[in-house]
Amino acid sequence: MRRLARALLAALCLTAAGAASAQAAETVQITQAGFSPSTLGAPTNAFGSATIGSTEGPVPAPIEHVNVYGPAGVTLNLEGTGTCAPATLERIGPTACPANSRAGFGGGEGIYMLGGELVKEKYTLDFFLSDNRPGHVALVVFLEGHSPVSVEVVFGGSVIRGPKPYGLGFSLNVPLIKVLPEASDASATSAFVTLGAHNVAYYRNVHGRRTLFHVKGIILPKSCPRGGWPVASQFKFQDGSTVMAKRSVPCPHH
Amino acid sequence: MPPPLSATATRRRARAAARAFVGGALAVCLFGVLCTPAGAATGVAMSVSFQPDRLGASSALTVALRFAGSAGATPAPLSGADVHLPRGLGIDLRAAAVCAAARVRAGRCPRASLVGRGHAQLEVLAGSQTIPEQAVLSAYRGPARGGRPTLEILGVGSTPLSERTLNIGVLRPDSAPFGSVLAIAVAPIPTVVYEPDGSFDSLTLTIGGRGSAARILVPAHCPAGGFPFALDAAFSDGTSTRAGAGARCP
Repeated sequence: MRRLARALLAALCLTAAGAASAQAAETVQITQAGFSPSTLGAPTNAFGSATIGSTEGPVPAPIEHVNVYGPAGVTLNLEGTGTCAPATLERIGPTACPANSRAGFGGGEGIYMLGGELVKEKYTLDFFLSDNRPGHVALVVFLEGHSPVSVEVVFGGSVIRGPKPYGLGFSLNVPLIKVLPEASDASATSAFVTLGAHNVAYYRNVHGRRTLFHVKGIILPKSCPRGGWPVASQFKFQDGSTVMAKRSVPCPHH
Repeated sequence: MPPPLSATATRRRARAAARAFVGGALAVCLFGVLCTPAGAATGVAMSVSFQPDRLGASSALTVALRFAGSAGATPAPLSGADVHLPRGLGIDLRAAAVCAAARVRAGRCPRASLVGRGHAQLEVLAGSQTIPEQAVLSAYRGPARGGRPTLEILGVGSTPLSERTLNIGVLRPDSAPFGSVLAIAVAPIPTVVYEPDGSFDSLTLTIGGRGSAARILVPAHCPAGGFPFALDAAFSDGTSTRAGAGARCP
Protein backbone atom coordinates (compact mmCIF):
# COMPACT_ATOMS: atom_id res chain seq x y z
CA MET A 1 0.00 0.00 0.00
CA ARG A 2 2.77 2.39 0.73
CA ARG A 3 6.00 2.54 -1.06
CA LEU A 4 8.60 5.06 -0.73
CA ALA A 5 10.22 7.65 -2.75
CA ARG A 6 13.53 6.71 -4.14
CA ALA A 7 15.02 10.09 -4.15
CA LEU A 8 13.96 11.16 -0.73
CA LEU A 9 17.52 10.90 0.36
CA ALA A 10 18.74 13.19 -2.27
CA ALA A 11 20.78 15.51 -0.16
CA LEU A 12 22.48 12.96 1.95
CA CYS A 13 25.63 14.77 1.23
CA LEU A 14 25.63 15.83 4.81
CA THR A 15 29.16 16.95 5.00
CA ALA A 16 29.33 18.53 1.63
CA ALA A 17 28.47 22.09 0.94
CA GLY A 18 27.93 23.69 -2.38
CA ALA A 19 27.26 21.86 -5.55
CA ALA A 20 28.35 21.39 -9.07
CA SER A 21 26.24 20.07 -11.84
CA ALA A 22 27.70 18.00 -14.62
CA GLN A 23 25.50 18.13 -17.72
CA ALA A 24 22.61 17.10 -15.57
CA ALA A 25 19.16 18.50 -15.33
CA GLU A 26 19.28 17.95 -11.61
CA THR A 27 20.78 20.53 -9.28
CA VAL A 28 21.95 20.16 -5.72
CA GLN A 29 22.38 23.15 -3.47
CA ILE A 30 24.01 22.39 -0.16
CA THR A 31 22.57 24.81 2.34
CA GLN A 32 24.59 23.84 5.38
CA ALA A 33 27.35 21.47 6.42
CA GLY A 34 29.64 21.14 9.38
CA PHE A 35 30.72 19.45 12.54
CA SER A 36 29.52 20.16 16.06
CA PRO A 37 31.62 20.60 18.03
CA SER A 38 34.40 21.39 15.58
CA THR A 39 37.40 20.37 17.64
CA LEU A 40 40.52 18.68 16.28
CA GLY A 41 40.70 15.02 17.20
CA ALA A 42 37.42 15.05 19.11
CA PRO A 43 34.14 13.17 18.79
CA THR A 44 31.60 15.16 16.85
CA ASN A 45 28.20 15.40 15.25
CA ALA A 46 28.34 15.65 11.45
CA PHE A 47 25.46 17.47 9.86
CA GLY A 48 24.32 18.88 6.58
CA SER A 49 21.31 19.94 4.58
CA ALA A 50 20.57 20.47 0.92
CA THR A 51 17.93 21.32 -1.60
CA ILE A 52 17.49 19.42 -4.84
CA GLY A 53 15.98 20.78 -8.00
CA SER A 54 15.79 20.33 -11.72
CA THR A 55 16.41 22.64 -14.62
CA GLU A 56 13.64 20.90 -16.53
CA GLY A 57 10.75 21.17 -14.10
CA PRO A 58 9.58 21.15 -10.52
CA VAL A 59 10.33 17.49 -9.92
CA PRO A 60 13.95 16.30 -9.97
CA ALA A 61 14.64 12.75 -11.00
CA PRO A 62 14.64 10.18 -8.23
CA ILE A 63 18.03 9.39 -6.74
CA GLU A 64 19.47 5.94 -7.26
CA HIS A 65 22.64 6.22 -5.29
CA VAL A 66 24.50 8.55 -2.95
CA ASN A 67 28.14 8.55 -1.97
CA VAL A 68 29.27 10.93 0.75
CA TYR A 69 32.95 11.47 1.46
CA GLY A 70 34.32 13.00 4.62
CA PRO A 71 37.76 14.52 5.05
CA ALA A 72 40.86 12.36 5.24
CA GLY A 73 41.75 11.63 8.83
CA VAL A 74 38.21 11.17 10.09
CA THR A 75 37.98 7.98 12.09
CA LEU A 76 35.20 5.89 13.59
CA ASN A 77 35.27 4.41 17.06
CA LEU A 78 32.14 2.35 17.55
CA GLU A 79 33.10 0.64 20.78
CA GLY A 80 30.05 0.52 22.97
CA THR A 81 27.58 0.55 20.12
CA GLY A 82 25.09 -2.12 19.19
CA THR A 83 23.56 -3.21 15.93
CA CYS A 84 20.09 -3.53 14.48
CA ALA A 85 19.25 -6.34 12.11
CA PRO A 86 17.70 -5.01 8.91
CA ALA A 87 15.03 -7.69 9.00
CA THR A 88 14.07 -6.61 12.50
CA LEU A 89 13.86 -2.98 11.48
CA GLU A 90 11.74 -3.89 8.51
CA ARG A 91 9.45 -6.18 10.46
CA ILE A 92 8.90 -4.12 13.61
CA GLY A 93 10.29 -0.66 13.03
CA PRO A 94 12.79 1.60 14.80
CA THR A 95 11.47 0.78 18.26
CA ALA A 96 12.87 -2.72 17.83
CA CYS A 97 16.41 -1.44 17.36
CA PRO A 98 18.66 -1.15 20.43
CA ALA A 99 19.24 2.43 21.54
CA ASN A 100 22.97 1.99 21.12
CA SER A 101 22.54 1.08 17.45
CA ARG A 102 21.29 4.57 16.57
CA ALA A 103 23.69 6.35 14.23
CA GLY A 104 21.74 9.46 13.34
CA PHE A 105 18.62 11.12 12.05
CA GLY A 106 17.39 13.16 9.18
CA GLY A 107 14.46 14.23 7.11
CA GLY A 108 13.27 16.54 4.41
CA GLU A 109 10.58 16.95 1.83
CA GLY A 110 9.69 14.60 -0.97
CA ILE A 111 7.64 15.24 -4.09
CA TYR A 112 5.74 13.15 -6.61
CA MET A 113 3.05 13.43 -9.24
CA LEU A 114 -0.34 11.97 -8.45
CA GLY A 115 -3.42 12.43 -10.59
CA GLY A 116 -1.74 15.17 -12.55
CA GLU A 117 -0.93 17.14 -9.42
CA LEU A 118 2.29 17.69 -7.54
CA VAL A 119 2.18 16.28 -4.03
CA LYS A 120 4.72 17.24 -1.37
CA GLU A 121 5.37 15.09 1.65
CA LYS A 122 7.59 15.48 4.70
CA TYR A 123 9.70 12.49 5.65
CA THR A 124 12.04 11.45 8.42
CA LEU A 125 15.18 9.31 8.40
CA ASP A 126 16.53 7.06 11.12
CA PHE A 127 20.03 5.68 10.73
CA PHE A 128 21.12 2.54 12.57
CA LEU A 129 24.27 0.48 12.59
CA SER A 130 23.65 -2.94 11.12
CA ASP A 131 27.29 -3.94 11.49
CA ASN A 132 29.78 -2.22 13.80
CA ARG A 133 32.86 -4.30 13.17
CA PRO A 134 35.86 -2.28 12.05
CA GLY A 135 36.21 -2.60 8.29
CA HIS A 136 32.69 -3.93 7.92
CA VAL A 137 30.62 -1.05 9.20
CA ALA A 138 27.18 -0.99 7.61
CA LEU A 139 24.10 1.13 8.02
CA VAL A 140 20.41 0.47 7.75
CA VAL A 141 18.07 3.37 7.13
CA PHE A 142 14.40 3.72 7.98
CA LEU A 143 12.55 6.31 5.89
CA GLU A 144 9.07 7.30 6.94
CA GLY A 145 6.40 9.72 5.76
CA HIS A 146 2.92 10.23 7.15
CA SER A 147 0.89 12.64 5.10
CA PRO A 148 -0.79 12.60 2.69
CA VAL A 149 0.34 9.01 2.15
CA SER A 150 1.86 6.83 4.84
CA VAL A 151 5.11 5.38 3.61
CA GLU A 152 7.88 3.33 5.18
CA VAL A 153 11.00 1.99 3.54
CA VAL A 154 14.09 0.25 4.84
CA PHE A 155 17.31 0.21 2.89
CA GLY A 156 20.98 -0.31 3.53
CA GLY A 157 24.27 1.43 3.18
CA SER A 158 27.89 0.96 4.00
CA VAL A 159 30.86 2.92 5.22
CA ILE A 160 33.31 3.52 2.41
CA ARG A 161 36.69 5.11 1.90
CA GLY A 162 36.78 7.87 -0.66
CA PRO A 163 39.55 8.75 -3.09
CA LYS A 164 42.16 11.32 -2.08
CA PRO A 165 41.80 13.92 -0.62
CA TYR A 166 38.82 12.35 1.07
CA GLY A 167 38.57 9.78 3.79
CA LEU A 168 35.74 7.85 5.34
CA GLY A 169 32.27 8.30 4.01
CA PHE A 170 29.19 6.31 3.37
CA SER A 171 27.29 4.91 0.44
CA LEU A 172 23.54 4.42 0.12
CA ASN A 173 21.53 2.57 -2.47
CA VAL A 174 18.21 4.35 -2.51
CA PRO A 175 15.40 2.11 -3.70
CA LEU A 176 12.92 3.08 -6.38
CA ILE A 177 9.59 3.62 -4.70
CA LYS A 178 6.10 4.70 -5.52
CA VAL A 179 3.93 5.88 -2.69
CA LEU A 180 0.96 4.63 -4.68
CA PRO A 181 0.84 2.53 -7.84
CA GLU A 182 -0.55 5.42 -9.85
CA ALA A 183 1.96 7.94 -8.48
CA SER A 184 5.24 8.84 -10.10
CA ASP A 185 8.45 7.68 -8.53
CA ALA A 186 9.08 9.99 -5.62
CA SER A 187 11.90 12.50 -5.57
CA ALA A 188 13.38 14.68 -2.88
CA THR A 189 13.44 18.45 -2.91
CA SER A 190 15.20 18.83 0.42
CA ALA A 191 17.04 16.73 2.95
CA PHE A 192 18.96 17.06 6.16
CA VAL A 193 21.10 14.57 8.02
CA THR A 194 22.75 14.56 11.43
CA LEU A 195 25.06 11.70 12.40
CA GLY A 196 26.83 10.95 15.65
CA ALA A 197 27.19 13.17 18.71
CA HIS A 198 30.03 14.14 21.00
CA ASN A 199 28.24 13.14 24.19
CA VAL A 200 26.65 9.77 23.48
CA ALA A 201 26.72 7.35 26.39
CA TYR A 202 25.10 4.03 27.22
CA TYR A 203 25.06 1.77 30.22
CA ARG A 204 26.59 -1.65 29.88
CA ASN A 205 27.49 -4.42 32.25
CA VAL A 206 31.18 -4.69 33.09
CA HIS A 207 32.01 -7.55 35.44
CA GLY A 208 28.44 -7.51 36.68
CA ARG A 209 28.37 -3.77 37.28
CA ARG A 210 26.23 -1.32 35.34
CA THR A 211 28.72 1.13 33.92
CA LEU A 212 28.18 4.22 31.81
CA PHE A 213 30.22 3.99 28.65
CA HIS A 214 30.86 6.98 26.39
CA VAL A 215 30.74 6.23 22.67
CA LYS A 216 33.15 8.25 20.56
CA GLY A 217 31.56 7.61 17.19
CA ILE A 218 32.75 10.04 14.51
CA ILE A 219 36.13 11.56 15.41
CA LEU A 220 37.49 14.58 13.58
CA PRO A 221 41.04 14.59 12.19
CA LYS A 222 43.82 15.83 14.44
CA SER A 223 44.81 18.38 11.86
CA CYS A 224 43.06 20.60 9.36
CA PRO A 225 44.61 21.51 6.01
CA ARG A 226 44.77 25.09 4.83
CA GLY A 227 41.47 25.81 3.18
CA GLY A 228 39.51 23.53 5.44
CA TRP A 229 38.43 19.92 5.39
CA PRO A 230 37.44 18.74 1.92
CA VAL A 231 34.14 16.93 1.69
CA ALA A 232 32.17 15.74 -1.29
CA SER A 233 29.05 13.95 -2.30
CA GLN A 234 28.00 12.23 -5.45
CA PHE A 235 24.43 11.69 -6.50
CA LYS A 236 23.35 9.36 -9.23
CA PHE A 237 19.86 10.02 -10.49
CA GLN A 238 17.41 7.67 -12.14
CA ASP A 239 17.70 9.55 -15.44
CA GLY A 240 21.34 8.52 -15.59
CA SER A 241 22.79 11.85 -14.62
CA THR A 242 25.34 12.31 -11.90
CA VAL A 243 25.95 15.36 -9.77
CA MET A 244 29.18 15.74 -7.88
CA ALA A 245 29.38 18.36 -5.16
CA LYS A 246 32.63 19.41 -3.54
CA ARG A 247 33.16 21.76 -0.69
CA SER A 248 35.32 22.43 2.32
CA VAL A 249 34.33 22.76 5.94
CA PRO A 250 36.22 25.58 7.68
CA CYS A 251 38.93 24.59 10.12
CA PRO A 252 38.20 25.04 13.83
CA HIS A 253 39.01 28.42 15.33
CA HIS A 254 41.77 28.41 17.89
CA MET B 1 27.30 -1.71 -2.99
CA PRO B 2 24.66 -3.23 -0.76
CA PRO B 3 21.31 -3.79 -2.40
CA PRO B 4 18.18 -2.17 -1.02
CA LEU B 5 16.81 -4.22 1.80
CA SER B 6 13.27 -3.30 1.02
CA ALA B 7 11.69 -1.02 -1.46
CA THR B 8 8.17 -1.88 -0.65
CA ALA B 9 7.79 -2.09 3.06
CA THR B 10 4.14 -1.79 3.82
CA ARG B 11 4.07 -2.54 7.50
CA ARG B 12 2.06 -0.28 9.71
CA ARG B 13 3.48 0.05 13.16
CA ALA B 14 1.37 0.71 16.15
CA ARG B 15 1.29 4.39 16.85
CA ALA B 16 1.62 5.74 20.32
CA ALA B 17 -1.80 6.26 21.71
CA ALA B 18 -2.77 9.86 21.97
CA ARG B 19 -2.56 11.18 25.46
CA ALA B 20 -5.86 12.48 26.56
CA PHE B 21 -5.89 15.56 28.63
CA VAL B 22 -8.37 18.13 29.59
CA GLY B 23 -8.13 21.17 27.39
CA GLY B 24 -10.10 24.33 27.26
CA ALA B 25 -10.15 27.94 28.15
CA LEU B 26 -9.71 27.47 31.86
CA ALA B 27 -7.08 29.76 33.21
CA VAL B 28 -6.29 27.52 36.14
CA CYS B 29 -6.85 23.82 36.49
CA LEU B 30 -6.61 22.24 39.88
CA PHE B 31 -5.64 19.00 41.53
CA GLY B 32 -3.33 17.64 38.95
CA VAL B 33 -5.57 17.79 35.91
CA LEU B 34 -3.56 18.46 32.79
CA CYS B 35 -4.39 21.96 31.66
CA THR B 36 -4.24 23.40 28.19
CA PRO B 37 -5.56 26.91 27.82
CA ALA B 38 -6.77 27.93 24.39
CA GLY B 39 -3.88 28.33 22.02
CA ALA B 40 -1.47 26.25 24.05
CA ALA B 41 0.02 23.12 22.53
CA THR B 42 1.46 21.62 25.69
CA GLY B 43 -0.58 20.72 28.73
CA VAL B 44 0.71 20.64 32.28
CA ALA B 45 -0.51 18.86 35.38
CA MET B 46 0.79 19.85 38.81
CA SER B 47 0.58 18.14 42.16
CA VAL B 48 2.15 19.07 45.50
CA SER B 49 2.52 17.42 48.87
CA PHE B 50 4.05 17.99 52.28
CA GLN B 51 5.81 15.29 54.25
CA PRO B 52 4.99 15.44 57.13
CA ASP B 53 1.70 17.14 56.47
CA ARG B 54 1.00 19.11 59.67
CA LEU B 55 0.19 22.78 60.17
CA GLY B 56 3.28 24.69 61.22
CA ALA B 57 5.54 21.64 60.89
CA SER B 58 9.02 21.53 59.44
CA SER B 59 8.43 19.54 56.31
CA ALA B 60 9.55 18.51 52.86
CA LEU B 61 7.70 20.05 49.94
CA THR B 62 7.39 17.96 46.79
CA VAL B 63 6.26 19.48 43.52
CA ALA B 64 5.47 17.13 40.65
CA LEU B 65 4.80 18.24 37.10
CA ARG B 66 3.62 16.26 34.12
CA PHE B 67 3.68 17.61 30.56
CA ALA B 68 1.85 16.41 27.46
CA GLY B 69 1.80 17.65 23.91
CA SER B 70 -1.49 17.89 22.10
CA ALA B 71 -2.77 14.67 20.53
CA GLY B 72 0.10 12.70 21.99
CA ALA B 73 2.82 14.85 20.46
CA THR B 74 6.07 15.48 22.24
CA PRO B 75 5.69 18.43 24.66
CA ALA B 76 7.36 21.66 23.61
CA PRO B 77 10.67 22.39 25.35
CA LEU B 78 10.14 24.32 28.57
CA SER B 79 11.69 27.79 28.66
CA GLY B 80 10.41 29.20 31.93
CA ALA B 81 8.52 28.16 35.04
CA ASP B 82 7.04 30.37 37.74
CA VAL B 83 6.04 28.26 40.71
CA HIS B 84 3.56 30.15 42.88
CA LEU B 85 3.64 29.19 46.56
CA PRO B 86 0.95 29.73 49.19
CA ARG B 87 1.00 32.57 51.67
CA GLY B 88 2.52 31.55 54.98
CA LEU B 89 4.77 28.87 53.50
CA GLY B 90 8.20 29.21 55.08
CA ILE B 91 11.29 28.64 52.96
CA ASP B 92 14.33 29.11 55.11
CA LEU B 93 17.65 28.72 53.30
CA ARG B 94 19.76 30.45 55.93
CA ALA B 95 21.26 27.23 57.19
CA ALA B 96 22.39 26.25 53.69
CA ALA B 97 25.81 27.15 52.36
CA VAL B 98 25.92 29.25 49.21
CA CYS B 99 27.39 27.58 46.12
CA ALA B 100 28.27 29.55 43.00
CA ALA B 101 26.85 28.43 39.66
CA ALA B 102 30.26 27.52 38.28
CA ARG B 103 30.81 25.12 41.15
CA VAL B 104 27.36 23.64 40.66
CA ARG B 105 28.15 22.94 37.01
CA ALA B 106 31.43 21.35 38.02
CA GLY B 107 29.73 19.19 40.62
CA ARG B 108 31.81 20.73 43.38
CA CYS B 109 29.23 22.10 45.79
CA PRO B 110 29.46 21.21 49.48
CA ARG B 111 26.74 18.98 50.81
CA ALA B 112 25.74 21.81 53.12
CA SER B 113 24.47 23.73 50.09
CA LEU B 114 22.14 20.95 48.93
CA VAL B 115 18.53 21.95 49.53
CA GLY B 116 16.60 19.57 47.32
CA ARG B 117 16.60 16.55 45.06
CA GLY B 118 14.46 15.16 42.32
CA HIS B 119 14.30 13.50 38.99
CA ALA B 120 12.95 14.18 35.53
CA GLN B 121 11.92 12.26 32.48
CA LEU B 122 12.75 13.98 29.22
CA GLU B 123 12.13 13.13 25.62
CA VAL B 124 13.07 14.35 22.20
CA LEU B 125 11.50 13.65 18.84
CA ALA B 126 14.35 12.75 16.52
CA GLY B 127 13.79 11.19 13.13
CA SER B 128 10.66 9.11 13.59
CA GLN B 129 11.43 8.25 17.18
CA THR B 130 10.56 9.67 20.57
CA ILE B 131 13.69 9.11 22.58
CA PRO B 132 13.52 9.19 26.39
CA GLU B 133 16.18 10.29 28.82
CA GLN B 134 16.23 10.24 32.61
CA ALA B 135 17.80 13.05 34.59
CA VAL B 136 18.71 13.46 38.23
CA LEU B 137 17.95 16.85 39.75
CA SER B 138 19.86 18.49 42.59
CA ALA B 139 18.95 21.89 44.01
CA TYR B 140 21.52 24.11 45.73
CA ARG B 141 21.34 27.44 47.44
CA GLY B 142 22.77 30.04 45.09
CA PRO B 143 24.03 33.57 45.66
CA ALA B 144 21.26 36.09 46.29
CA ARG B 145 20.13 38.22 43.35
CA GLY B 146 18.96 41.70 44.23
CA GLY B 147 18.62 40.55 47.80
CA ARG B 148 16.37 37.65 46.75
CA PRO B 149 17.22 34.03 47.57
CA THR B 150 18.02 31.78 44.65
CA LEU B 151 17.90 28.08 43.93
CA GLU B 152 20.26 26.49 41.44
CA ILE B 153 18.71 23.36 39.97
CA LEU B 154 21.22 21.08 38.26
CA GLY B 155 19.91 18.44 35.88
CA VAL B 156 22.22 15.58 34.95
CA GLY B 157 21.25 13.16 32.22
CA SER B 158 23.42 10.22 31.28
CA THR B 159 22.05 8.29 28.34
CA PRO B 160 21.68 8.43 25.38
CA LEU B 161 23.25 11.89 25.69
CA SER B 162 25.42 12.89 28.59
CA GLU B 163 24.12 16.35 29.51
CA ARG B 164 24.27 18.81 32.39
CA THR B 165 21.99 21.83 32.52
CA LEU B 166 21.67 24.46 35.23
CA ASN B 167 18.49 26.39 35.86
CA ILE B 168 18.38 29.25 38.32
CA GLY B 169 15.25 30.24 40.18
CA VAL B 170 14.73 33.47 42.10
CA LEU B 171 12.36 33.52 45.06
CA ARG B 172 10.38 36.73 45.37
CA PRO B 173 7.13 37.96 46.91
CA ASP B 174 3.89 37.22 45.07
CA SER B 175 0.39 38.61 45.07
CA ALA B 176 -2.57 36.99 46.83
CA PRO B 177 -3.57 34.26 47.18
CA PHE B 178 0.07 33.38 46.95
CA GLY B 179 2.88 34.44 49.22
CA SER B 180 5.93 33.94 47.04
CA VAL B 181 6.93 32.78 43.58
CA LEU B 182 9.98 30.84 42.45
CA ALA B 183 10.74 32.20 38.98
CA ILE B 184 12.92 29.76 37.06
CA ALA B 185 14.59 30.53 33.74
CA VAL B 186 14.86 27.14 32.08
CA ALA B 187 17.92 26.59 29.92
CA PRO B 188 17.61 24.77 26.59
CA ILE B 189 18.60 21.11 26.61
CA PRO B 190 20.48 20.67 23.34
CA THR B 191 20.46 17.36 21.49
CA VAL B 192 22.02 17.19 18.02
CA VAL B 193 22.01 19.62 15.12
CA TYR B 194 18.65 19.77 13.31
CA GLU B 195 16.77 18.01 16.07
CA PRO B 196 14.74 19.81 18.72
CA ASP B 197 15.91 20.51 22.25
CA GLY B 198 14.90 18.06 24.93
CA SER B 199 11.43 18.38 26.44
CA PHE B 200 10.27 17.58 29.95
CA ASP B 201 7.81 14.74 30.12
CA SER B 202 7.65 14.81 33.92
CA LEU B 203 9.57 16.39 36.76
CA THR B 204 9.56 15.91 40.52
CA LEU B 205 11.51 18.08 42.96
CA THR B 206 11.55 17.89 46.75
CA ILE B 207 12.84 20.81 48.81
CA GLY B 208 13.55 20.38 52.50
CA GLY B 209 13.27 17.25 54.54
CA ARG B 210 15.96 14.73 55.38
CA GLY B 211 19.35 15.49 53.91
CA SER B 212 18.39 19.01 52.92
CA ALA B 213 19.92 22.16 54.33
CA ALA B 214 16.67 24.01 53.62
CA ARG B 215 13.84 24.26 56.11
CA ILE B 216 10.29 24.23 54.80
CA LEU B 217 7.54 25.26 57.20
CA VAL B 218 3.96 24.31 56.46
CA PRO B 219 1.73 27.37 56.97
CA ALA B 220 0.18 27.55 60.42
CA HIS B 221 -3.29 28.15 58.96
CA CYS B 222 -4.93 26.47 56.01
CA PRO B 223 -7.50 28.34 53.92
CA ALA B 224 -10.72 26.72 52.83
CA GLY B 225 -9.96 24.65 49.76
CA GLY B 226 -6.41 23.93 50.77
CA PHE B 227 -3.06 25.59 50.16
CA PRO B 228 -3.00 27.17 46.70
CA PHE B 229 -0.10 26.38 44.37
CA ALA B 230 0.19 27.23 40.70
CA LEU B 231 2.62 26.97 37.82
CA ASP B 232 3.00 29.40 34.95
CA ALA B 233 4.90 27.50 32.28
CA ALA B 234 6.39 29.07 29.15
CA PHE B 235 7.56 27.00 26.19
CA SER B 236 10.07 27.54 23.44
CA ASP B 237 7.33 27.50 20.80
CA GLY B 238 5.99 30.70 22.30
CA THR B 239 3.01 29.16 24.06
CA SER B 240 2.34 29.30 27.77
CA THR B 241 -0.05 27.75 30.21
CA ARG B 242 -1.02 27.86 33.86
CA ALA B 243 -1.64 24.81 35.99
CA GLY B 244 -2.82 24.85 39.53
CA ALA B 245 -2.72 22.46 42.41
CA GLY B 246 -4.18 22.59 45.86
CA ALA B 247 -2.51 20.88 48.76
CA ARG B 248 -5.35 19.72 50.95
CA CYS B 249 -5.42 20.95 54.49
CA PRO B 250 -3.87 18.57 57.00
